[in-house]
Amino acid sequence: MSKWLWLLLMIMAWMGLGLTISNSQHKQIKGNQVSPNQISRIVSMAPNLTEILFALGLDNEIVGVTVSSDYPPTAKEKRKIGNFWQPNIEAIMATRPDLVITLGFDQQINLAHRLKRIGYTCLTVRIEKIKDLFEAIDAIGTAVGKQQKAHQLISDIRAKLDNLRALVGRDKTLKVLWVVQREPLRVAGRDTFINELIEIVGGVNAIGPTIHKYPPIGAEQVIACRPDVIIETSEQHQNPPAQLRQAMQYWGRFDNVPAVTNKRIYVIPADVVSRLGPRLSLGAETVARCLRPELFEK
Amino acid sequence: MKNETMKGLLTPGILARRTALAAAVLVAVMFVCSFIGSERISLKAVFYTAPDSTTVNPDHEIFVRVRLPRIILAAIVGAALACSGVTFQALLRNPLADPYILGISSGAALGATIAVLGGFDWTLWGRSPIAVFAFAGGLAAVWLVWSIGRMTGKFYITGLLLAGVVVNAFFSAIIMFLTSIAKSQQVHATIFWLMGNMVEEDFLVLWIGTGCIAGGITALFLISPQLNVLSLGEDDARSIGLNTTGIQTFAFTIAAFITAVAVSLSGLIGFVGLIVPHAIRLIFGPDHRQLFPLCAIIGAAFLVGADTVARTVVAPAQLPVGIVTAIVGGPFFLVLLIKYSRKVHWYK
Repeated sequence: MSKWLWLLLMIMAWMGLGLTISNSQHKQIKGNQVSPNQISRIVSMAPNLTEILFALGLDNEIVGVTVSSDYPPTAKEKRKIGNFWQPNIEAIMATRPDLVITLGFDQQINLAHRLKRIGYTCLTVRIEKIKDLFEAIDAIGTAVGKQQKAHQLISDIRAKLDNLRALVGRDKTLKVLWVVQREPLRVAGRDTFINELIEIVGGVNAIGPTIHKYPPIGAEQVIACRPDVIIETSEQHQNPPAQLRQAMQYWGRFDNVPAVTNKRIYVIPADVVSRLGPRLSLGAETVARCLRPELFEK
Repeated sequence: MKNETMKGLLTPGILARRTALAAAVLVAVMFVCSFIGSERISLKAVFYTAPDSTTVNPDHEIFVRVRLPRIILAAIVGAALACSGVTFQALLRNPLADPYILGISSGAALGATIAVLGGFDWTLWGRSPIAVFAFAGGLAAVWLVWSIGRMTGKFYITGLLLAGVVVNAFFSAIIMFLTSIAKSQQVHATIFWLMGNMVEEDFLVLWIGTGCIAGGITALFLISPQLNVLSLGEDDARSIGLNTTGIQTFAFTIAAFITAVAVSLSGLIGFVGLIVPHAIRLIFGPDHRQLFPLCAIIGAAFLVGADTVARTVVAPAQLPVGIVTAIVGGPFFLVLLIKYSRKVHWYK
């Protein structure tokens, strides 16, 4: 029986030793807290954050972006530090950033925790609604010492959105079905910024409140909600005309849905409308052109 | 290489020599892998500090804070899964048994899913809620399966396996339900965890994890003669005076414990607990006295290698390590199976 006693003693001694060593190591927080004006090496962990940073004129300060950061075109030339869901912490550290900006998703919050533990400065912004976008731009502007430019950018986007609102007027009768994915069918629900986008340009989401942000729906709901317009987004690697043909074919079976009868099915590029960033007004305009083409004919 | 498949031939000398050889392989693998990565770092830069040490040395920091902890984590998790696989295969007398067969995986996954959906924001001894819930969920599930299995009576091994299958299926259904009502961004976080999620861990976490897993493997090694007898069949074992129930309960508890520790450290990593024990058994024979030390070391080396591939193959992004263990491990195992299975008869 004594071998078990020995084993137990060894394990306890090991644990005790570990606790002692870890207590004796004083947690050193690196003293390289840089003031906002001196930040010169920024890593962006999402495409829309990259767009915000470029819009704030930080072209030279950005040292790392995610694989899918493709706008503005110069972003493609920046060093890649992994993708949004699977960031590469070694690559991030190799860029020697003095600020890492992440989004408020679980995976990214986790990354920020890990980086902070090693001693890097991180800024986490949550961008889910249009209001959050303005707050995020403000927060990033403050963190990098570009408040003025940030305020200018915010009021610029606001002004453009207001112009659009004025253009489309107060009429909100067009019912829009925003399709995220066709098989299985998923659409944008009410609790999304896409819903806000639809309402800005004078539409209303055909789908009522749901528990999911992007609810999966069945054919029954498609027919019951009677959308006037159906909008699909296309990724860049897809071919929009081909997708439009497929979409027409797919939706053709719902022949008593107004959008299908009136052939009001649109395919628009995903990056302007699914990234909540500085190109928001461009996205809103793209949607407006689908809903009210007559306003843009002049 | 000689093939002594009869366990009578295993002498302490042979065991020590083989263990030393395996340990040398492990050290070599860990050394090589610590210099492979998406960022090239040089040995010189890692240990050289500039006289004006005001700037951080990124090579040193990447090596010490990220790469080394991750390699150590892979090593201890690989050792735990391989030894746990050996134990479950011996106890269930089923070559298809792996560490997750009795519901640990689905229990841990359910725990992790609940932790993600709950959105908790605390840490327990430096561990995230996901790790804590996964640990608790894994142990709870295996305890549930074990109790159900014991209730099925004399042929309880079949009962255990069936209970494991049913509990796995039931928990998976609950996980599916929870993820289908969850927000999509949370689902994503769970999915990556489920495929094996290796990150650099704190010193203390690694130290405690090493203690738990090394202690558990040593305990299993100490009962390996009894496991040898058990693998001949329970009735035979009992007839020569072995307390089979006591040994089984003890081995199950230890194996479940080290698996739960491994799962809480790195998520669900498949295949290690299946292919490493079989590979070692096919090459060196089924004696548990050598299976435990060799499987621990080779399991560690295998997972360190697999994780290095996962870190680098799609750089700058990374793969979940579970994908690599399955892709690398599957064909490798098949080759071994065809090559050696005619020579060795294990578990009739």
